[in-house]
Amino acid sequence: MKYFDLLMRLFFEKNLMYKISAAILFSCILLFSLCSKEKKNEQISLETFFKNPEKSNFAISPDGKYISYLKPFHNRLNIFVQSVDGKEVTQLTQDTLRNISYYFWGNNNEILFIKNYESDENPILQAVQRDGKNTRTLISYKNTRINLITTDAAKNGEILVALNARDSTVFDAYRMSIKDGKLKQLVKNPGNITNWFADPSGKLRMAISSDGVYETLLYRNTEEEDFRPIVKNNFKTTIVPVGFSKNQGIYALSNRHRDKMALVELNSRNGKEIRVIYSNPEVDVTEAELSSIDNKLEYAVYETSKKQRFYLDAGVKEMYQQIEKQLPNTELTITGQDAAEEKFIVRTFTDRNPGTYYLYFKKKNKLQKLSDVNSSIQKNSLSEMKPITFKTRDSVIINGYMTLPSGKQINNLPFVVIPHGGPSARNSWGYNAEVQFLASRGYGVLQLNYRGSTGYGKEFWIAGFKEWGGIIQNDITDGTKWLIRTKIADPQRIAIYGGGFGGFSALSGLCFNSDLYACGASYSGFINLFTYVKAIPPYYKPYQQMYFEMVGNPETDGDYFRNVSPVFHTDKIKVPVLIAQGSKDPRVNVTETNQFAKELKKRQIPVTYLVKENEGHLFKNQENKIEFYKELEAFLKNNLDKNK
Amino acid sequence: MKEQIQLYRKNFALVVTFLVLISISLVVAMLLAYNLTRKYVENEFVSQKIEVLEEVVNPYNDLFQNKIPEISFYQGFLDSSSVKKYADSVFIKYPFVDRIVFYDAAISNLPHSDGLRVNNFSIRPKAVYQFGKNVTKDSSALFKKSFPNSLSLQTADEFNKMAVKFTGFIKSADTTKALNDDDRYNIFYSVNANRITYMSIPRREDLRIFKDLMLKKQPPSLQYEQDIMTFYMDPFKLKVLNPHPELYQHIIIKPLVYESLSNNPELINTDIPLPGAFSDYKLYLSSSKSYLRNEINLRFLPIALGLLLIYGVLVLIAYLIFRNLNINSKMFKLQYDFINNLTHEFKTPVSVIKIAGNNIRSSAELSVREKNHYGKILDEEADKLNDLMNRLLSFTQIENRAIKIKEEVINLEVFCQNIIDAYQIKYPHFDISCTIEGVNLFKADPVLLGSLFQNLIDNAYKYSLSDKKELHIVIKKVRRHLIFRFTDQGIGIPQKELDNIFKKFYRIQSEYNQQGSVGLGLAFCKELVNFMHGSIAVKSRLGKGSEFKIALPFEELSLE
Repeated sequence: MKYFDLLMRLFFEKNLMYKISAAILFSCILLFSLCSKEKKNEQISLETFFKNPEKSNFAISPDGKYISYLKPFHNRLNIFVQSVDGKEVTQLTQDTLRNISYYFWGNNNEILFIKNYESDENPILQAVQRDGKNTRTLISYKNTRINLITTDAAKNGEILVALNARDSTVFDAYRMSIKDGKLKQLVKNPGNITNWFADPSGKLRMAISSDGVYETLLYRNTEEEDFRPIVKNNFKTTIVPVGFSKNQGIYALSNRHRDKMALVELNSRNGKEIRVIYSNPEVDVTEAELSSIDNKLEYAVYETSKKQRFYLDAGVKEMYQQIEKQLPNTELTITGQDAAEEKFIVRTFTDRNPGTYYLYFKKKNKLQKLSDVNSSIQKNSLSEMKPITFKTRDSVIINGYMTLPSGKQINNLPFVVIPHGGPSARNSWGYNAEVQFLASRGYGVLQLNYRGSTGYGKEFWIAGFKEWGGIIQNDITDGTKWLIRTKIADPQRIAIYGGGFGGFSALSGLCFNSDLYACGASYSGFINLFTYVKAIPPYYKPYQQMYFEMVGNPETDGDYFRNVSPVFHTDKIKVPVLIAQGSKDPRVNVTETNQFAKELKKRQIPVTYLVKENEGHLFKNQENKIEFYKELEAFLKNNLDKNK
Repeated sequence: MKEQIQLYRKNFALVVTFLVLISISLVVAMLLAYNLTRKYVENEFVSQKIEVLEEVVNPYNDLFQNKIPEISFYQGFLDSSSVKKYADSVFIKYPFVDRIVFYDAAISNLPHSDGLRVNNFSIRPKAVYQFGKNVTKDSSALFKKSFPNSLSLQTADEFNKMAVKFTGFIKSADTTKALNDDDRYNIFYSVNANRITYMSIPRREDLRIFKDLMLKKQPPSLQYEQDIMTFYMDPFKLKVLNPHPELYQHIIIKPLVYESLSNNPELINTDIPLPGAFSDYKLYLSSSKSYLRNEINLRFLPIALGLLLIYGVLVLIAYLIFRNLNINSKMFKLQYDFINNLTHEFKTPVSVIKIAGNNIRSSAELSVREKNHYGKILDEEADKLNDLMNRLLSFTQIENRAIKIKEEVINLEVFCQNIIDAYQIKYPHFDISCTIEGVNLFKADPVLLGSLFQNLIDNAYKYSLSDKKELHIVIKKVRRHLIFRFTDQGIGIPQKELDNIFKKFYRIQSEYNQQGSVGLGLAFCKELVNFMHGSIAVKSRLGKGSEFKIALPFEELSLE
């Protein structure tokens, strides 16, 4: 009606030109509003995909009476507490600057939390009462990082923390009173201990030391004893302690003397394997869960194309089956429980659904919905994520996932290949906002677990060592070629994009497989291996040798570094590039990225360069994230659609 | 009448004026164009040196902007072997780089004998190497930390300068901000005569660490590596490219203070200083005047041709206008003559009639003889006037295609004999003969054909000397045409007039046609022949006689 009035008024204007232009304006506005309406119907907005979850990180108080969660307050995550029935909501923190990065229940009455901090800020551990009163700082030292050794409720009002206050390169173990933050040093780190482990009763009984290449598992029966080494192995072999068994044994995930990680029990005296509890012939066992009541193994987790549980306890199996019956066709995980293991936080998810939090009452076998992770996302409009495999040029089978835009013919699609970061990591099946966002914009997405990815055994992981831009890149290239060969992707419209190592791979692809990709985007991508290796922070010094073995030694492998680092090969890039970079990213020197972008510009290559002064590695600030994805959306649209 | 003549003379003057004006314009345009071209070339000689400079210093800029900052990418991890590779790539791509000295520097808070120390911050060379075309492997290492105090002052000079600058920067650096371009240039580059020293730019974290090293008391620190490199360059090895060989004969690199002492006035020159490390030198560009003149002429040529072309077109148009005017003027003259003649023609019979009338009135009584005489005179003169008018009328009709052909079958022999007989009565001395070969009947309009015969016979009579008044007519059939030949023994027609005699109002200036002629006869004949879809031609020899040949289309008549 407003437009109509306007039009009528303008019609009475004497000047004909006014009338004409008004008519044009009117029809434009009408057309525009129609168009935008139409678009809204079919496309979920970018902000919806990447908005902070409404409520997340649910936890139950040890007595099971209260439920806590993080919720955005002025766009920053803060802690809220409510009673189990959902009434009596209290906001415990009111920080409008920083997100709460981690919190846990210290006892029935108090919550301890750590806030996000930048590299030039000091981390801070604080405590607050359930009713929001008595907020106090427990630990805040300059230039000191806080690592929590125990994350369960405090035992005798005390928790274990590791701090590098004495020497920035080593973490000493302390016992801290949650009442006043008083510290008592338990063990002085001789300089080589990298991890500390406590038993369920809060006693510091295990540690892992490393000389950079060799890792040693240390054990003691009581806190009064000294740590003694029980097993030593090269870092390529992994032994992760998961708990203490009866008879002074150790439950651990280990790939010692085998390729795939298995759940085993170790003899704490000599480190020898007593038995293999569960192993999978195809993939690593990645997790094992112990009951905190009776210290019994509940299940082991392994991940083929999806995460699977292998139950080791009939009661637990029964409980999961009961929940699954009530929540069919969805994956679920238990993310929290009370001390009595009567109430559980259950989170569901699928590839097309960010999921929902439920509260499960074991006795009543009843589920109570807590919150959707992202309620504005409509499930049916999202795209299916399919596990795929293909063979590389040297006949190695690579697993990956392909997400095809829903409602489109699977033929000649524009594609975005996303190598994951790491490279010591893997892509998993499940809801991924970035992937779904790209699929909703009409692009197919390929994620692949190239060699060097974890989860597929020791050999597969080690195959990626010093193969950045080598075998790893070949696997990515072969994946892209597989897409072309199977005619799923349009060879003229394939982009490569990734963050961190993925960004390195994207730029590497543009440099060395320039005819394969129509454009590429690097999000905090490593552009120079020299800088990457130099950026190992001082408190990681023990790992330096390990890094050298995994990535390369800048002094002896200088040629290799030079040959694969994109910063030395700007002259080989021929297609448009998007680079997003935080100025404070320690692993990338922003001066180099500037130089990189400058040289590309000089060579008339279209460059979209996004630098954020206050961001580090990958953007943390919501506004910056949204800006980046907006740029990415426009960049892909401009460069992939034009080749149609 | 006089005004008319003047009008045509004026036109001619206009044409001449026009020609003169455009000729002057041409000359002026040529001069202007030449001068502008000269100015343009002279300006280019001065201004294009920037382009030459760009060409020449392009590799230097590339080295400065891209290749040197590449050192930073190595993050201080360069050692003697990787530097060697780097240096070799520099020598290949940038031949003007003579020598590279590499300082493998270390930063720590430990005291050292070599290098610089401020507060707790010390920067020292661990080793110094040099590379170059003339540097042998043995002389490559200039200094190693295993031999302290052996660093020569000369070798250390560049290192010390850089270290002092860097230390000063560390002391005042704001480590919370990213480095800006000013700092990058001022601190990490040192540009001196013929050499550039560059220090790898540390990461932000490193700067913070260095600052802490300097200002805080800390336990012995690690060694942080920095690379410093000095590039020694020879300006004379810069490749001098001439992107404008048409402007510059010689381009050479000379010291900044160089001035040519040559007294050759023919030589003109300009110069432009080189940038950066070569700022003590300049590009010296020179050309001889004749060389530039060549270039000017070369550039002027197409302009001149263009101008000439325009001039040519203008002259052509002027000529065509002039020609049209000329034809019009001739036409005008013909028409004027015609009126003159016509007046004359009409005047004679009219005055005879007037005299006869006067005589009849003034005489008291007329004898029979007199009456007959005057009657005959009046009758004859009236006939003449009538004939004249008829002719004018029919000509106009013919010309406008206003009459219709009334074809009928003509017996040629009878037709000819009738005409000949008529003439025999009129001109008893006129000897007309007629030969008809192979045809008898012919289908045509007898009035038109009669007019044709009359005109041609009249002409033959008129243009024959009184003792040679003869005409022979031949009619014969040649293929699909009937040919009529009228051959007389008359005065003939001059060769140059042959084209004109069929034109309207055209009369040959001669003593034989002083009267009784309007210059329409032959034009009328031609119109008639055209009207009858035939053709007319003439052959003539001056003094011997003429032959008119008429060809008319002939249709074989059926016997009925």
